[in-house]
Amino acid sequence: MKNSLRVQRAIKNITQAELADLIQVSRQTINTIESGKYVPSTVLALKMAKVFKVTVEEIFTLDAED
Amino acid sequence: MKQNTLLLPNRYKAIGWLIFLLFTVLGFFCILMEFKIPGFQLYHGIGGLTEDYNLTNELAVFGVTMGLLMIVFAKEKCEDEYISMLRLKSLQWAVLLSYMILIVLNFSVYGLGFLMLLIYNMWTTLIVFIIKFNWSLYKLRKETLKNEK
Repeated sequence: MKNSLRVQRAIKNITQAELADLIQVSRQTINTIESGKYVPSTVLALKMAKVFKVTVEEIFTLDAED
Repeated sequence: MKQNTLLLPNRYKAIGWLIFLLFTVLGFFCILMEFKIPGFQLYHGIGGLTEDYNLTNELAVFGVTMGLLMIVFAKEKCEDEYISMLRLKSLQWAVLLSYMILIVLNFSVYGLGFLMLLIYNMWTTLIVFIIKFNWSLYKLRKETLKNEK
């Protein structure tokens, strides 16, 4: 699964730590999601979409391998 | 999101370590010097026929176990879903490794020595979990710091 988290963060101009605070997870978790190592739960994905005011599909998209 | 209700608050981690260390020291005194808390027993030996039933070593085993359980079940400061996943992975690892150790011991140690090792084996799962889980957390923090630079 691919994600545009880094881009979305850049648009909204917030750091990993700030995003982590907003959705109540650790900074490390945001980092693992951003680097594609961890696929978040639906709840977390929806929370992120809410922060960036976009749909989940704009942040997360399926990869050819999925 | 629904929290894991089986976990204890974060402060139990420190309390757990304190209890674990204190009772480990007590345990060593029991093993090495046959230390017994005077009067802390169910019954006294009768005329050399039965032995004293002192509860000091039972107390040491109880304390070490409770301490380790507290460390294992204490929440992290920020217990989110990724940490939960690490917790689960570490637990799988711990169960697998402790049974592998048991299998190796089964073929390599015999008699009373095997029984002694089985006693220590009570804690293998918990100890392996603590090591593996904290190692994963350490690696995670290091990686985050590296990526931020």
